[in-house]
Amino acid sequence: MLKTRDLLIEIGTEELPPKSLKSLATAFSEQMCLALNEVELDFNDISWYATPRRLSLLITDLDITQKNKKHQRRGPSLSVAFDKNENPTQATVGFAKSCGVEVKELEKLESGKGVWLVFNTILKGKKTNEIIPGLIEKSLGRLPIAKRMRWGNYNIEFVRPIKWILILFGKKTLNCEILGIKSGATSFGHRYHHPGALEIKSPSEYSNILRNKGHVIVDYNERLSLIQSQISLAAKNNKGNAIIDPRLLDEVTSLVEWPVSFIGNFDPEFLKLPKEVLITTMQDNQKYFPVTNDKKELMPLFVCVSNIESNNLELIKKGNERVIRPRLSDAVFFWEWDLKYGLKNHRQSLKEVVYQKDLGTLYDKSERLVKTLSLIGEKINLDIDSAKTAAALCLCDLLTKMVSEFPKLQGTMGRYYAKAEGENNDVAIALEELYQPRFAGDKLPKTLPGQCLAICEKIDSLIGIFSIGKAPTGDKDPFALRRSAIGLLRIIIECKIDIDLKDLLSTAASTFSNKNQSLNCINDVYTFLMERLRHYYRDEGFSADVFESVFAINISRPLDFHHRLIAVAEFRKLSEAKSLAAANKRISNLLKKSGEINSIKIKNDLLVEKSEIKLARKLEDYKKIIAPMIDNHNYKSALTELAGLRKVIDNFFDNVMVMCDKPDLKKNRLALLSNLNSLFLETADISKLQD
Amino acid sequence: MAQEKKQNSTDGSGLSFQELIFELQKYWANQECVIMQPYDMEMGAGTFHPATFLRTIGPEPWRTAYVQASRRPTDGRFGENPNRLQHYYQFQVVLKPSPDNIQELYLISLKAIGVDTKKHDIRFVEDNWESPTLGAWGLGWEVWLDGMEISQFTYFQQVGGLDCKPVTGEITYGLERIAMCLQDCSDLFELAWSRTKKTKVTYGDIYHQNEVEMSRYNFDLANTDALFNWFDVCEKESQKLIEEGLSIPAYEMTMKASHSFNLLDARSAISVTERQRYILRIRSLSREVARSYLESREKLGFPLVKN
Repeated sequence: MLKTRDLLIEIGTEELPPKSLKSLATAFSEQMCLALNEVELDFNDISWYATPRRLSLLITDLDITQKNKKHQRRGPSLSVAFDKNENPTQATVGFAKSCGVEVKELEKLESGKGVWLVFNTILKGKKTNEIIPGLIEKSLGRLPIAKRMRWGNYNIEFVRPIKWILILFGKKTLNCEILGIKSGATSFGHRYHHPGALEIKSPSEYSNILRNKGHVIVDYNERLSLIQSQISLAAKNNKGNAIIDPRLLDEVTSLVEWPVSFIGNFDPEFLKLPKEVLITTMQDNQKYFPVTNDKKELMPLFVCVSNIESNNLELIKKGNERVIRPRLSDAVFFWEWDLKYGLKNHRQSLKEVVYQKDLGTLYDKSERLVKTLSLIGEKINLDIDSAKTAAALCLCDLLTKMVSEFPKLQGTMGRYYAKAEGENNDVAIALEELYQPRFAGDKLPKTLPGQCLAICEKIDSLIGIFSIGKAPTGDKDPFALRRSAIGLLRIIIECKIDIDLKDLLSTAASTFSNKNQSLNCINDVYTFLMERLRHYYRDEGFSADVFESVFAINISRPLDFHHRLIAVAEFRKLSEAKSLAAANKRISNLLKKSGEINSIKIKNDLLVEKSEIKLARKLEDYKKIIAPMIDNHNYKSALTELAGLRKVIDNFFDNVMVMCDKPDLKKNRLALLSNLNSLFLETADISKLQD
Repeated sequence: MAQEKKQNSTDGSGLSFQELIFELQKYWANQECVIMQPYDMEMGAGTFHPATFLRTIGPEPWRTAYVQASRRPTDGRFGENPNRLQHYYQFQVVLKPSPDNIQELYLISLKAIGVDTKKHDIRFVEDNWESPTLGAWGLGWEVWLDGMEISQFTYFQQVGGLDCKPVTGEITYGLERIAMCLQDCSDLFELAWSRTKKTKVTYGDIYHQNEVEMSRYNFDLANTDALFNWFDVCEKESQKLIEEGLSIPAYEMTMKASHSFNLLDARSAISVTERQRYILRIRSLSREVARSYLESREKLGFPLVKN
């Protein structure tokens, strides 16, 4: 039984980037865990702590030394180890010497292949003390830091300057140098409440001492829940509900060591602004949490999470209120200016804004959207007038003052301004829905004009950017085309818009002025979209072979693809699936091997075996049953029906020799199988299904 | 007495604008900073002052502090917005190499101007800085005082396209905003610039008319043809001076070009695509200046480097 101790590591820093604090801390923990595993040091548990000014790990019951390890060196084979006189040969003497022992201390190893001389030894495990600094340094070096920085005149790089390092192993400080910085014996508390050193006597009391003496809640999740309940309570005390965006909650948790939340007021006059503007100002600029009443309307309140227990909270509150006022005044200025100027009036100015070199201006883009919409609108039941108006107006809000100030409100402001200008609801809503889904898992457009406009915009971006040779490569996707592609596919599938991708692509490509390039890239975009579709279904939990079985038959209507995929996934659960998949695999192999089949016509007079006669007859029956199902896209019934063929097919293979000596019979049997194969392929290539 | 006044920082009796400058100068002078004076040219930020831009290049240590007027033509509001100005003041501190206790030095400076760090909520919020025209970037924070951004804090990583070694720490105080906090004032034109028992001269007394007239000039009247021409001339002059190995006048020409660009921007005379091209033109001048300045200092044997 090895002795163990707890290990505490605290890297004290200047304020860390709040949006990546949590990922830094968890990565530190994961890397340290990996590093400990690599050197075979056992421990019970590893937990991470993170505040704006520290990344810490507590590792419990860590071995104080590595285990001793048996080590074996293999020497010469016994057959050449000794000469006739049983004296060690040159090789043996040399080997013993290199091991630092006498020949007689060598042992023998017998394996199936022979006998060798070996040297067995025990490698003594190193002390954990000596290994830890290297592991920490290695783990810190592997943190996912977008931009490492330098400071002072040092040759160190880290996410922010390191101020102190505390390593406590059991009750002893571990003195060492990490990234050129000497570790010390103390931690430090809150920047203002307890700027001085804090002595930690043992790792297990770390979080308590920091809390009780240091005014720091080191546990990230504890701080997060505390903040959450403080915010809710503050809102509740004012008869409201706080809007708690989880990303903002994480960010705020990463900005404070000692959260103290309070409510602040702003002039109710500002409530005339669109609520998205108020919310964005509060959340993005000031990191406040907005508050709504029972009717879900915004109240002229915000919850601020400060980082200090001030004896004059009123002062902090007043300060914050003084900041939000001019920000909202600015927003009112933009709002009124934009309303006065009007949305339509920006349309001509779109001609002056280049979308992408070689792809014309934003005006050109909006013209393309109008055209594509008209073309595809004919194929689906779309109110073309609203949709076209929306397409013409959709980029105008990019030129409003509000959107230049708050870029993420593009679309939303379009909706407000269009409505103010008297456009109908369909148009206004489509302007906002164009941008949906904005991120993974975001809501999809609800209205048909919105869905179509969103589809057109995304396909236009894809073709446009591909055509100028800026398609995503590796991890580089500057135009977020992967997101566009997934968004496009999600809308088509989840909003059930039956549209052919190849059709859509050539329609959209024909609207570009660089037609040669845009038409040329259609295949690439199609392949890219199908690749995204594969990812989409993987994320939805469908197994890869189910996807492959539909992918193999080149279905370019995503909605149709979807129905087939669901049917195959269901089919896969049937007891017949396995043997039918195997049979189909066998059939396609046979067909492949026999090369081109001249005629797929089955000649009844050439059917001789009972089993093949039966199969042929069944085949005819099934063709009739399946055809209307396929026509109605009822793939699930089709496959369930086809499962009924299992026995006949199994019998056929059990009793009939396909590749027989008689060419006529063989040909006819292959034709029979080819027919059978086609029948399955009407839905999917189930030979792709894996066991 | 003075101490007491500072303690009551936000009851309206906090430091006047000029006292704020005096205190900061005194404080940073005690931290071995050379107190320099504003540069006598138009610039968008204190960073453009050669005491920052040029001195951060190369190995020579350097500490300075100074007030610099920032001109941002597009921020003008004709004197009608109580929070926006096209001409305002920054207090710039440059510490090269950045000392280990730079944050503490900054926080003590806040105490020196009457901010009680135990009463207020002061936070360092990530804000990484990049100046496309100066070919410079750094990592750091904006400092929040009760939610108000009062300072920028940056560790320069690159300037003029050159890696900074040693790294300079730059602190930029937004003087008007700090004064508004100290004086508990929500209209910057009402700020006390100077104050005695009998008299009070406000920021507005001094600068309101300036804001009105300059906004009118910047937005409506600046001669764009002349500005485009100036830009071209300054660019050529700068390139010529670089060839002569005269990095300082070449840099002045770069600053002039940069200000002409800012005015053209305010006049909405530059389209979005052209805008990017102009920025790149200024950046290439900055890079040349940086390279040339480093060369000239090297020739002089980096005189400020002490063993």
